[in-house]
Amino acid sequence: MINEEKVILMTRMASYEYGKGKKDITILNYFKGDYIGFQVLKSVIAATISFFLLLGVYFFYNFEVFMQDIYNMDLLAFGKSVIILYLCMVGAYGVITYVAFATKYSRAKKSLKTYYANLKKLASMYEH
Amino acid sequence: MTSLLVAKQYIKMFISKYEVYVKPLLKLILALAALMIINAKVGYMQKIDSLPIVLMVALMCSFMPMNFIVFISAVFLVLHMYALSLEAAVITLVLLAVLYLLYLRFSPKDTLAVLLTPLSFAVGVPYAMPLAMGLLGTPVSAISVCCGVVVTFLVCYMSDNATVLAGMETEDMSTKFRFIIDGFLDNKGMILTIVAFSAAIIVVYMIRRMSIDYAWTMAIAAGAITDIMILLIGDFIFDTNISILGLIVGSIFAVLIAKVVEFFGFNVDYSRTEKVQFEDDEYYYYVKAVPKVTVAAPARTVKKINSSRRRPTR
Repeated sequence: MINEEKVILMTRMASYEYGKGKKDITILNYFKGDYIGFQVLKSVIAATISFFLLLGVYFFYNFEVFMQDIYNMDLLAFGKSVIILYLCMVGAYGVITYVAFATKYSRAKKSLKTYYANLKKLASMYEH
Repeated sequence: MTSLLVAKQYIKMFISKYEVYVKPLLKLILALAALMIINAKVGYMQKIDSLPIVLMVALMCSFMPMNFIVFISAVFLVLHMYALSLEAAVITLVLLAVLYLLYLRFSPKDTLAVLLTPLSFAVGVPYAMPLAMGLLGTPVSAISVCCGVVVTFLVCYMSDNATVLAGMETEDMSTKFRFIIDGFLDNKGMILTIVAFSAAIIVVYMIRRMSIDYAWTMAIAAGAITDIMILLIGDFIFDTNISILGLIVGSIFAVLIAKVVEFFGFNVDYSRTEKVQFEDDEYYYYVKAVPKVTVAAPARTVKKINSSRRRPTR
């Protein structure tokens, strides 16, 4: 005999599992620190690539100026300011990533909690 | 109004019933529109500026995820720019790469806004974009729309100066680079549009979330007025040569489009038919879960309910 209540519950859970739940489960496979750390690392790499792309454009843009002044430029000061700019950009971007993905993690945890509660409910149905 | 609501129910029912076919069809139309507009605007590479290729790629897009359309459009854009000049292609590529790396990683859902904004400019209803995104999105959507605005102005600048770029000496790379970047960054109209659109999105979002009557309608009106005011004041200060008539007519169209978005988006339930499979110890289940759609009531019945409700209060 098919238990209607059970089917409804299982359908709800299955649709979560295949839809939003899929992402939540992959997120929650990590510990919170690991997940956020990994995302921040990805962000740092992305920010580094974009910084060098922009720096390349800047160099090309001022190509003639650099060619003329390369010998009487204060290269050390220039390098310093580039590094400071880089650190600022990566730092700011890392902080934004941290906040965004910490929120995402706690949201996923919350909705997965409901799923586990349903799972418990389902298990108790089998006992009766 | 009642017949409109009935029509809405029918459309909703139709979409939920034939979702499997409607979704690829919509993707196909969007991909076709995007690619054809790109080809019409900057079709410098003859090889990909042909209908069979566009059709083939658009067909491919209809079976791929939504963001694939954005990717393909970007590829087309860069290829066309490459045919124009190497420098233009490099700058476009760097801009798109930085957008992708820095922003779109956070909100992959908003990627579509980056494509739709240039399209809305091309179709001639740019002011609809901030209103629609304010209604459907969050304040963060402002960033996606701004990215779209930046891409639009870059493409417009390139296509406006195509003859100059093509005529320049090839050895003079640095000059070309300077020419493109100077002209692109010195565009006050772009910065003004970014400010106006961001402000409109935030205003629309804030007002539509208020618990007042007609919040969505008021949000649309306020957003359109914010947009017009900022653009007009900016035009006054920076002399950006915005056509005032175009702005006002465009805004009226934008409000109409936003009303359509409101009609379909307001109180929308994202429930749709779902097919799931699972098993337990005794059975395999193949379940098709259909959401309960309130069946459209004939107009006469609605009138009857209204009159019977009012009678006791008199």
